[in-house]
Amino acid sequence: MKSFHEILESFHIAYGAVRANKVRGMLTTLGIIIGIVAVVTTMTAANGLGNRFKESISVIGSDVLFVSRTPWIFTGNFFDFRNRENLTLKDSEKLEHQLPAARAIDPRSYTTQSIKYRSKQLENITIIGATNNYILVSNAAPEYGRFLISNDIQYKKNVCVIGAEIKEQLFKDVDPVNKKIKIGRHFFLVVGLMEKQGSASFFGGPNFDRQIVIPISSMMKCFGGTNRPFDIVVKAPSTEEMSDFEYALIGEMRKIRKLTPSERDNFSINKMDTLMNAYNNVMGVVVLIGLIITSISLFVGGIGVMNIMFVSVTERTREIGIRKAIGAKKKTILIQFLFESSSICLVGGLIGLLLAFGVTKLINAFLLPASISPTIVAVALSISILVGILSGVIPAYRASRLNPIEALRYE
Amino acid sequence: MAFEIKKVTKTYKMGSEIVSALRGITMEVGNNEYLAIMGPSGSGKSTMMNILGCLDKPSSGAYFLADRDVSKMNDDQLAEVRNQKIGFVFQTFNLLPRADVFHNVELPMVYSGMSSSKRRKLAEEAIEKVGLTDRMKHKPSELSGGQRQRVAIARALVNNPSIILADEPTGNLDSATGEEIMSIFDHLHRAGNTIILVTHENDIAMHAHRIVRLKDGLIESDLLNQKHFAA
Repeated sequence: MKSFHEILESFHIAYGAVRANKVRGMLTTLGIIIGIVAVVTTMTAANGLGNRFKESISVIGSDVLFVSRTPWIFTGNFFDFRNRENLTLKDSEKLEHQLPAARAIDPRSYTTQSIKYRSKQLENITIIGATNNYILVSNAAPEYGRFLISNDIQYKKNVCVIGAEIKEQLFKDVDPVNKKIKIGRHFFLVVGLMEKQGSASFFGGPNFDRQIVIPISSMMKCFGGTNRPFDIVVKAPSTEEMSDFEYALIGEMRKIRKLTPSERDNFSINKMDTLMNAYNNVMGVVVLIGLIITSISLFVGGIGVMNIMFVSVTERTREIGIRKAIGAKKKTILIQFLFESSSICLVGGLIGLLLAFGVTKLINAFLLPASISPTIVAVALSISILVGILSGVIPAYRASRLNPIEALRYE
Repeated sequence: MAFEIKKVTKTYKMGSEIVSALRGITMEVGNNEYLAIMGPSGSGKSTMMNILGCLDKPSSGAYFLADRDVSKMNDDQLAEVRNQKIGFVFQTFNLLPRADVFHNVELPMVYSGMSSSKRRKLAEEAIEKVGLTDRMKHKPSELSGGQRQRVAIARALVNNPSIILADEPTGNLDSATGEEIMSIFDHLHRAGNTIILVTHENDIAMHAHRIVRLKDGLIESDLLNQKHFAA
C-alpha cells in the first residue's frame, strides 16, 4: 500500500517534470521515437519478408516431395552431385508401382523456350513437361478450359496449358483456348488457362504464372528424350505422415537406383521445409544484423535520456533535499527518477509505435505483406521501458544518495 | 520527554583540518516545551539543528527522540524518523515550487503511506490551522512570503510530530509578518506542541520559554525566559 502511494506520487512528479520542460521533454523523446521506429520497422519488414516467402513457397505445398538429381540448396561438395545420373521416366513409373501409399506421382521435366503467337513473341519461358497428375500435386487449378488428361500424355499430343501472365502478355483480351502457339519450333494447341497463383518469384525463384505445362511425352518427343533435367514430384498421404513417408520414398528410390547399403544416395529429396530452413538460417542472421544496427539509434536515444536525467537531478537537487527532509527514503527518490526516465521512454515508445504503424502501412502498400504483431508491440514497449530504466539508473542512484543537508543548501 | 541528547559531539573534516562543531552537549527537553537555541554564527547552531532534525548523525554521544536512540540509525531509518517525529520549518520555506499548497502539505503523509482520503482530511485541517483554506490550489510562487511560511508550518504539523523544528523561521520575512508567524508558533505551543526555534534574533527567541545559548560548540547558558514566568 505504501509503495503504491509512492508510485502514484512518482507518476505525479514525472508528469509535472516533463510538463514543466515541454521542449526538452519532446527533444529527448524524439531520440527514443526514432530508435523505436527503426527497431519496429526492421522487425515488421523481416516479418513481411517471411510472409512473402511463405506465400511464395506455399504454391509448392507442404505435403509434396521432389525427388531430384541435386538438392535445391547446395551444402557440401558440388562434385558429389555433379556426376549423378539424371532421373528418368522409367524411375517414375517404377516408383509409382512400388510406392502405392503416395497420393500422386508426377514426373516432370523442364526446358526453356521462346514462344510465339502470331507476331507476339516471348523469350525465356519455362516449359514444364508433366502428366495429368500435375494438378493433383500442385495447389493450382485451371481457371478456364481444361488441364492435361491421360490421353494427352499417352498419345504425346501437342497441347498446352498456359500461365496467367503468359495469357496476359501473349493474348491480351483474346480467348486463348483452341489457339495454336509456337513453342520453340513446334506448334501446341492451348487447351486451358491456369488460375493466377500470385507472384511467387522470390530470391529469383520460379514464377508460376509465367510457365507453360505440356505433356511430358510431348516434351521428350519435341525437345529430346535423353539427359533431361527431371524431377519426380510425390504427394504424401498427409502432412502428418511426411517423415515416415519420406523415409519409405528414399528406400524405394534406393531400390530403383540399385544402391548397395554402403553407397550413398545418388538423388536428393527436396521439399518446402528445405527452403523454409534455408530461408530461416539466412534471414535470422540478416534480421539480427538489422536489429543490432537499428538498436544503435535506440542506444543513442537512451544516452539522450540519461543526459537529460542528469540535468534534471542537478536542477532539482533542492527538491530532492526537501523530499528527503520530510521523509523520502533513498528508494523513494530512486523510484521517482527511474519512473521519470521510463515514462519519457515509454511515451517515446508509444509514439514510435504509432509512427511505425504508419511506416508499416506504407511497406504493406508498396513492398511486402508486413504487419505489426502484438508480440512486436509488447517487445517494443518493453524495450522502451528497459531503455528508460537503464538510462535512468545512474542519475537516479546519484539523486538517491544526495546528502539532504547539502541538497537543501544547494542554490 | 520529547528528546534527550547526551555528550553529543560533531566533528567535520574540512580539507585536511578537523573542525569540532559540537564539543559535548547534553540536554533534555520535555514535552510541550518552547525552546530557542541561540548563538552567533560558528557557534554550532546549524549543526545542532541538523542533528536534532535527524538530517545528520552525531560523531559521538546519544540522541533519544521519543525514547528511541536515533544516533545509531541508518539513513532510511532516519528518513522515517524525520517523517514521523519531526516537522521542519526552514528560513527559505523549502516548498516544492511546482506543487500547489495542498500537495505540499500532503507530501509527508504520502511518504508515510496514508490513504488519500485520510491525507485529504488531515491536510485540509492543517491548512485551516494556518488560515490558508482559500489558497489551497495556489502554487508557492503565487503566495507572499508569510503565506509560504504558513504552508511550511502546515506541512510541519500534518504528521503530528514530536517536535517542530524551526530554523530562522522569520529570517526571510519583514518584522510584521515575522510577528504573525511567531504568533502561530505561540498558538501551536499552547495547543500542546513541542517547538524548537533556532535563531540569532533576540526578539524571536523571546517568544520561547527556555533559551539555550551556544558558543564554540558548547552550551553557554540554559535559562528560562523570565518574560513568560515573571507574571
